Amino acid sequence: MVGIKKPTTFWERLLFLLSRHREASIAVIALLLVTYFQVGSNGQFLNVQFLGVVLRDTSRLALIAVAEVMLMITGEIDLSVSGTFSLAPYVMALMSAIWGTPLAVGALVGVALSVLVGAANGLITVRFRVPSLITTVGTLFLLQGVVVSIYNSQPIVTPVEQPFNAIFGQSLLDPRNDSIFSWHGITAFSPLLWAVFVILAMTLVLHRTTFGLHTVATGSNIVGAREIGVRTNRIKVYNFMIAGGFAGFAGILNTCQFSSADPAAGGPFLTLQAIAAAVIGGTSLLGGSGTAIGALIGAFVVATLNNGLVMMGAQATVSDIYLGAGILAAMILNVQVDRIRARRRI
Amino acid sequence: MSAADIPALHTDSPVILEMRRISKTFGAVTALVDVSIRLRQGEVLALVGDNGAGKSTLIKILSGFHQPDSGTIVLDGKEVHFGSPREARAHGIETVYQDLALIGDLSVYHNMFMGREYHKRILGLKLLDNRKMRDLAETYLGTLGINIPSVNSKVELLSGGQRQSVAVARSIYSSPTVLVLDEPLAALGVREGANVLGLIQNLRRERKVSIILIVHSYNQVFEVCDRINFLHSGEIVMDASTSETTEEELIRIVKSGLGRDAIAAAAGRLSSET
Repeated sequence: MVGIKKPTTFWERLLFLLSRHREASIAVIALLLVTYFQVGSNGQFLNVQFLGVVLRDTSRLALIAVAEVMLMITGEIDLSVSGTFSLAPYVMALMSAIWGTPLAVGALVGVALSVLVGAANGLITVRFRVPSLITTVGTLFLLQGVVVSIYNSQPIVTPVEQPFNAIFGQSLLDPRNDSIFSWHGITAFSPLLWAVFVILAMTLVLHRTTFGLHTVATGSNIVGAREIGVRTNRIKVYNFMIAGGFAGFAGILNTCQFSSADPAAGGPFLTLQAIAAAVIGGTSLLGGSGTAIGALIGAFVVATLNNGLVMMGAQATVSDIYLGAGILAAMILNVQVDRIRARRRI
Repeated sequence: MSAADIPALHTDSPVILEMRRISKTFGAVTALVDVSIRLRQGEVLALVGDNGAGKSTLIKILSGFHQPDSGTIVLDGKEVHFGSPREARAHGIETVYQDLALIGDLSVYHNMFMGREYHKRILGLKLLDNRKMRDLAETYLGTLGINIPSVNSKVELLSGGQRQSVAVARSIYSSPTVLVLDEPLAALGVREGANVLGLIQNLRRERKVSIILIVHSYNQVFEVCDRINFLHSGEIVMDASTSETTEEELIRIVKSGLGRDAIAAAAGRLSSET
């Protein structure tokens, strides 16, 4: 019979619990943060307007983070997502400005292009065996360069076409007149609703589809997966395409929110925050494990840290110190949890 | 060695698989030179040879993981080409690799059905039928007498022997035509090794599965094999039936034969290069 070592010391027992309930432990951290900011700001954190800002940031980050989670499960990473984040809405805005194309059509074209960028990332990575870290740094600069040079790096004001804008990110909520359950009240949270929908969908994909199973297999043991007939290259390329698509979609939501497509909307910083969210959410950089829910909670933690510290009067740069420390702590914890997991093996 | 030289053992049973004149190089490394093997239905063939002799390359060609530079594979009288492991499995060739090809982060039952998952439709979505796979895996492992804590356990929590058993169980679940086992006893203790050998004997007796075993030394499998092929430096240097020879004789032949053939092979390669 196999023996499973029982955790003995307090520290081991804690890590054991964390390893079994990673998302729950991060949710606890998120709650602690919210409490801290709520108390520290004399109750300003949990008001509708401020929470709205945090949740918008959360949604944007979560959409990109969940794509990174999928890729990181396969053992890859995509640093070019902020490029597609800028590209997709810029294409939409440009088509609207030049040809008067409806935003909905432009958005479809933009997201389709983003998926193609993902496919290119994936194909370069698996066909030419370039590590994705390098491939996507290349495409990141390429995309940023393209987006900036298309229209002389000018932001393009996009028209407002209802209900498209409301459904895809614009808030029309007037707290004095609108009930939270009215059309304006619900669409005020459209980015969050989209993010939650995508997270639930990806959870289903990961746990209940062959594609999800093969995604885990690819990252957990790529040689073994290939030997047993998993088409690991294809799985990777599909996940790159998902990453491109989600990043482009997040960019569209962002543009609809401000009715303006800014070629510099997605700085490389956005990518790094999304990766931070994925890591804080418990995704292993070694591949084979990670959850979509973790990406959402991780994104919430990052957005809360960013906005909460600024609200409490800290310089934006100071919030980076906490974010950096948070990522390091999460990484160390992840590695420790992995070690505990490995030691239980006999 | 031509196919005609292979002693007819199960003369009554048909040839199920032939690999004819298979060659394979990796860059500057020659892995296999004109290797032919022949497998009859219900036969157990042992492939023996030193490290680097080409055993694993040969069976990875059979399993679709590698593609040969030249040579053909004939399965049940029809020439086949395997572009991927998926295609080989679809043709009824199952392989238990040396590394077992198990996914540590996934459960035993997901591993059991990796690549041939069961699905059900819910609201038009094609979702995994986890319950069915769990139940089938539990029943099947039970009938084979394989003892694991639970089919829900992640494979990384199993012992070496348990993993080996799961990998073997997965490969025979679909009743393959040809079963290939690469070092099936490598990670096992004496008792677990005996279990796997028993499993192999049962398969041959009850299901007429044809089996290729890759082993380092043939004495551990002498009783379960019908024939033994020796691979040396990418060539088959000897093909012997276990019913017509004794273990001691084989050892003697190998010791003398290996040297001679190896020298001849080396000389042949030199002359062809110059």
